[in-house]
Amino acid sequence: MQIETALLIGVLFACATYLILQNSFVKILFGFIVLSNAANLLLLSMSGAPDGREAPIAGQGAGPMVDPLPQALILTAIVIGFGVTAYLVVLLYRLFLDQKTTNAAELYADQDTSEHT
Amino acid sequence: MTLALFIALGLPLLLGPLLGPLERVFGRRVGWVAFGAPVLATAALLWLAREVGLPGSRVIEFPWIPSLGINLSFLLDGLSLFFALVVSGMGVLVFWYANFYLDDHYEHHGRFYAYLTLFMAAMLGTVLANNLMLLFVFWELTGITSFLLIGFLHEEESSRVGARQALLITGFTGLLLLAGVLMVRQVGGSFDLSVLLHEGLPVGEHRGWLTAAMLLMLLGAFGKSAQFPFHFWLPNAMAAPTPVSAYLHSATMVKLGVFLSARLFPLFNEQELWAPLLSWVAFGTMVLGAVLALQSHDLKAILAFSTISQLGYLIGYYGLGPARGVEYDYLHILNHVFYKGGLFMIAGVVIHSTGIQDIRQLGGLWRRLPWLGAACAVSAATMAGVIGTTGFLSKEMMLKEIFEAMRPHGALGAYAAGCVLVTSVVKVAFAARFFTNVFLGPEPSAVKEHFHAPPLALQLPAVLLATAAVVFGLAPMLLDRPLHALSVAGLHHPSDHLALWHGVTLELAVSTGVLLAGAGLYAWGQRTHWRWARISPALRFDAFFEAGVGVFSKFTKWLTRALQADRPVSYLPLILVFTLVVVGGWTARALAMEWRVFNWLATATGENGDWLRAFAAALISLAVVGVVLLKQWTTQLISLSIAGFLTTFYFVLYRAPDLALTQILVEVVTLILVLVLLGRFPRSAERGEHTWRPPPLRRALNLSLALGVGGLMTALVLWINARPAAGRIGDWFPAHTEALAEGTNTVNTILVDFRGFDTLGEITVLLIATLGALGLLMRYKRTPEEYRQGPLGPAGMGLHHPEEGKQ
Repeated sequence: MQIETALLIGVLFACATYLILQNSFVKILFGFIVLSNAANLLLLSMSGAPDGREAPIAGQGAGPMVDPLPQALILTAIVIGFGVTAYLVVLLYRLFLDQKTTNAAELYADQDTSEHT
Repeated sequence: MTLALFIALGLPLLLGPLLGPLERVFGRRVGWVAFGAPVLATAALLWLAREVGLPGSRVIEFPWIPSLGINLSFLLDGLSLFFALVVSGMGVLVFWYANFYLDDHYEHHGRFYAYLTLFMAAMLGTVLANNLMLLFVFWELTGITSFLLIGFLHEEESSRVGARQALLITGFTGLLLLAGVLMVRQVGGSFDLSVLLHEGLPVGEHRGWLTAAMLLMLLGAFGKSAQFPFHFWLPNAMAAPTPVSAYLHSATMVKLGVFLSARLFPLFNEQELWAPLLSWVAFGTMVLGAVLALQSHDLKAILAFSTISQLGYLIGYYGLGPARGVEYDYLHILNHVFYKGGLFMIAGVVIHSTGIQDIRQLGGLWRRLPWLGAACAVSAATMAGVIGTTGFLSKEMMLKEIFEAMRPHGALGAYAAGCVLVTSVVKVAFAARFFTNVFLGPEPSAVKEHFHAPPLALQLPAVLLATAAVVFGLAPMLLDRPLHALSVAGLHHPSDHLALWHGVTLELAVSTGVLLAGAGLYAWGQRTHWRWARISPALRFDAFFEAGVGVFSKFTKWLTRALQADRPVSYLPLILVFTLVVVGGWTARALAMEWRVFNWLATATGENGDWLRAFAAALISLAVVGVVLLKQWTTQLISLSIAGFLTTFYFVLYRAPDLALTQILVEVVTLILVLVLLGRFPRSAERGEHTWRPPPLRRALNLSLALGVGGLMTALVLWINARPAAGRIGDWFPAHTEALAEGTNTVNTILVDFRGFDTLGEITVLLIATLGALGLLMRYKRTPEEYRQGPLGPAGMGLHHPEEGKQ
């Protein structure tokens, strides 16, 4: 069983959700990074408990190997997650240049008043 | 035969889209290219009718989606060929007429004929289809082309409104038809009409389904044929150019409901609901349409309402038909085609040459257009049912059958008879009005000013149709043979020979009475100058419909606004709550049902977990919780990085060296990138974050959502891992990696070899992200002064726009 991994995934998802629900865009960015890690670990847990198994490199030992497929998927996910993170960073920078705020509450507060006038 | 079918159906489909570009070559004369389509189709259909060996039938089939039982399958029998010939024959007249009607005042001739040709192909497809799904596809295609044709003069609002109404009504009822078709398939086991008609539908256990299917399909027919309560779209569809009104909205498309009733007659006429439903609705619509026609003053509106009325007559006829089959349905349909198509074309010529549509401002056109006047007199007489025309025959036969049906149907028969009588009287009155108020009497000055003579060729189709009404009216025996040949088993009962004179019968007496009463009504109308004629607001269903559409669009706008706000903080909770309720609820139910949740927890905790992993997990959790709890950006970021690097270690514990390597690289780059970003923000921005705190209720919601998501994910992992995997596709890769990919590191070979295209996609995503980031960064260039001032601006928020510097 992987009870510790399950709990870890739970903690990561909870923290990521909490961060993403904030008004601060920086916190939302942090939340996104945590969320990608959480999702990666969730995928990894699908390969089953690694106890007594070996890395998926063929022709080395006679013992059973862990499932390589989740690892390949995660490898792709890590890279794509990084791409999106980088984009978010630049987007946040741009947003700050244009709106002079990193706070969703402030940003939309301006918009709300401009809509009504 | 396949070739002939292709010429009739495939050629117009192919020709249609070409007509738009061809307009550049031929200009207005592109209409004569299009004219070839109905002529060829008629010839091909006549040849087919000869080859099929009527009254037999033939099925021509090409595979399309055989696995679903959907094929390009066509049924050639009397009914389909009759309707196809009506469509293509009227097509010849209408295309001819349109070529003279659409003069240089109109634009986009190519587009117009493209729509019209496609419409004709769709019509032919609908009536010839054997597969019900194919029928549905063509059915909706007629609706779409009708929408385009009604909205052809889309600069005018009435066109747009009319087109939208027609599309909404016929499109919606078309979907009901689809639902009915699917039910028939479930019950009858086939989409093919030939199979269904041959084997019949199983009654008994499927009664409920059959009733529902019949109801839905008939609603589809009512929508298309403008029967109550869908009748209001047809008058508004008159905003289309007159050739369209004559073709689609009197002769062909609106007859699809009649066609469908005829097709379904053998399948459903034993059903209890068939006769009452069709009779009540259709005969009621018949009276309503006639009364509304009497109260209208617009030439085309009068004809539109009378078309609604006549369609009710035709559909109701199938409703009361005895189980052994009906006799004279073709006669009624042909009669309507003769006079209504003709009257529409006459109205078109009048509008074309005077520019006036209101019957109260017209008059005295006989002297200027004697041929057209004669055609109008004949057509109006046919509509009224004067002896010597097909209208007389049609009415005689109808009365005869209604009187026969009165006995078995009781109250329903009496209702039908009453409706037919009232409608006949009213019809005489507005038919007479239509002719006399347009062609007789003094000529108003407005007509004198505007009149310009139409070409004789424009009047020709109307004259031809009127001639046909008289010829077949005087010599009905000419119709005997073709009608007999076109009869279909199950639908038709062999009819008596048609004759002009049946002797002095009850029907003749009633007919005469109707004519006299109609004349009286007309005389009274003329005396009062039709001042009372006005459609009451209570009958303006189109206004109700438009109001309903308005309310509906307001409602959807409100719903969208309520559900989807601009800010993610507003709508994310909604999505999360939904996910928690649905996925969480489902998981909880599954767990509770199996009663094994405690077992899992017991085995999970009972088993000595890996202490190293538990230690790493605890550290990562601590670091991530730190991200939430810490206040400053920099410390948060450090905490986040610690969590990331510890995750690397976690990957190692999971025997994933490649993941660990990648994660370490990505973690370093992310740290640098975010650090650079945070360094660009001034202190004030970070302080500004703490000035606004969400209300406590909101924070409680956020916290509970976060805990809910976390708990759900933990439960999912435990649950999935508790079920032993039956087999893993992942095991295939290590076994074959050396043989197939010449590599031992299985993760690597999966990425670059087995699933190489996925990696290509991944690279593409990175490229897109890079381009997006570049675009965001390059939106404006900083001036040299700004550049020298460094990344942080002089005061306050720091960075600023160059426009501000100039001010």
